Amino acid sequence: MRVEALLQFALAIAFIVLWVFMPAWSISGANYSISLTPWGYVVRFFGETHVIPPPTVYAVWLFALDVGLLPLVWRRSRYSLYLAALFSVLSLSMLMDTILFQQRYLQFHGYTIAPTPNGYIYVSLPTKPVLGLPTYILLALTILSIFNMITRARWLGTGPEDPIVAVVHVLKALNIEYSRIEHGVEVGGVRIVRQGGSLWLVRGGEATEVDLKTAITEAVKVGLKKPVSVGVVDYGED
Amino acid sequence: MAPSSFKITLLFSILSIAVALILIWGTAQTAPNLIHYSTLSNDPYIKVESINVTANGIYIRLAVINNGTLVFTPTGGWVEVVETGQVVNVTIINGTVIAKLPLTPQWVGLASVGVKGIVSGVLNGSRAYIAFFDVAPIHIINTIGIADVSYADCVLNVTLSVNTVVPVVIGPIINMSLFTVSTPGYYVFETVGVVNTTVYAPAGSHNVTLTIQVSPVLGRYTYVYSCNYLSGFSKYTLWLPIGVTYMYPTGNITSYTLLTKTLTFIVGGGS
Repeated sequence: MRVEALLQFALAIAFIVLWVFMPAWSISGANYSISLTPWGYVVRFFGETHVIPPPTVYAVWLFALDVGLLPLVWRRSRYSLYLAALFSVLSLSMLMDTILFQQRYLQFHGYTIAPTPNGYIYVSLPTKPVLGLPTYILLALTILSIFNMITRARWLGTGPEDPIVAVVHVLKALNIEYSRIEHGVEVGGVRIVRQGGSLWLVRGGEATEVDLKTAITEAVKVGLKKPVSVGVVDYGED
Repeated sequence: MAPSSFKITLLFSILSIAVALILIWGTAQTAPNLIHYSTLSNDPYIKVESINVTANGIYIRLAVINNGTLVFTPTGGWVEVVETGQVVNVTIINGTVIAKLPLTPQWVGLASVGVKGIVSGVLNGSRAYIAFFDVAPIHIINTIGIADVSYADCVLNVTLSVNTVVPVVIGPIINMSLFTVSTPGYYVFETVGVVNTTVYAPAGSHNVTLTIQVSPVLGRYTYVYSCNYLSGFSKYTLWLPIGVTYMYPTGNITSYTLLTKTLTFIVGGGS
C-alpha cells in the first residue's frame, strides 16, 4: 500500500469527520444563521431550528469517501487513481451545487419583516458568509487525488528510478524468483549488473552491455522457465 | 477474462456522472418542498398607552408589548400626531417610551388622536424597528391644589397652584371650614352656604391667591370661633369645597371639587 494513497484516504476521512463538527459553508449572524452540515443545511432563526436536506449534500461525502477508499480497495490498475480523481472533482462539484442551492432557495437578504397588530416590525439581521475548514480540506483532497493520478501515486519516491529496481518490479509482478546481488539482480543463471551508467548482462562468463528493455526481456525469459504465480504491483498495470 | 480496468473505469465514470446529474436535477425539483418559510410569531409591538394633555405639554406614553420569548428593548424613535402634524423624538425613561410635545390650541378641542411612529431598539441582540399606528383617547389633566394657607386676623389666604390646559375661574366656595387635627377637633371657623369669592387663572401653570375675609358678613351661617390660630394647636386642616369653571372653546364646564390641606402652623400669640 502506497503512502500517497494512504494520505489521500486520510484526507478524505479528515474531511468527513471534521465536517460533522464544523460547517463547510455558513452564513453566520446573531439571530439568523445557515450552516452546511453533512446532513443538510441547519437554519437557525430566533431560537427555531430547521434542517433542510438537499439530496446533493449526501453525494458530497459519499464521493469523498470513494476518493479515499478506491485507491486502497482497487490497487491493481492505475485507473483506480483516475476514477478517484473523477470522484474528487464530482464531490467538489456537489459541494458547489449545494452552496448554489443555498444561494438560490435559501437566499437571505439580512432582514426580516413581520406584521404586528398595529404595524410591523423590521429586524435587521446582518450575516457574514464563511467558507469552513472542511471545504479547504476537500479542495486539498481534490488536488492530491489529481496529483496522485498524474504521478501514479509515486511522488514521494525521490529521484529517477534505478534500472535494477525497474527490473525487480517486473520480476515481482510476474512473481519470478530472484536474488539481489551487489549492484544488480540474479535470475536463474543470469545476472544483470549496473556499472556506471550502463547495464551489463552476465551469462556464464561473458558480459554484454544491454539496454533496460533487453535486460528485462532476458531476465523474464530466464525467469519464466520456472512456474509462475500471480503477484501484484500497486498501480502497475496500464 | 476479467473486464479491463479501462472498461470498469468508463462504466463507473458514466454512472457516477449520471448519478451526480440526477441529484442536481432532483434537488432542484424537490427544493420548493424542502424549504420552510418562517416568520416571527408573537413578535413585540408598540401600543399607545396614554395621551395626557397637561398645562406643561402633551405626554404620549408608548408601551412595548412583549408577547413571547422575544424581548424588545427600545432605544429611540419618533412619533407623529396625525391631527396636529407634530413630530417629535421619543425619550426612554427606565424602559418606558415617552414623547413630549408642546401644547398647542388644537389639543383642547380633541377627544382622541391618531399616533403613528417608529420605535427603534434591540430585539434579542439584533437591531429592530417597530412601526405602529394607534388611535388613542386624550386625557386632559387639569390640576388645582392648595399650595399654602395662612390665617390671621380673620383673613384667610389660600395660595392655589393651578395647572390647566384652559383658562379657569375658581370659585365660589361652598361650606369651607378650618379645624384642628386633634381629638376632639375644634373649629376655627366654618361657613354654611356659598362664599362668592372668585379668582381667574389663565391656561398654564400659575399660582393664584384667594383672599377671604372670614366674618359673619359672609353669610348668616358663618361661625367664626377665632380670628387667629387656636393656642395650643399647631396642626390644622382646611376643607375647601370649591367650584371650578373650565373655559373650553366649546363652552364652559363647571365642576365642583374638594380641596383639602393639612398644615402645621407655627403658633404665635393667639387669642
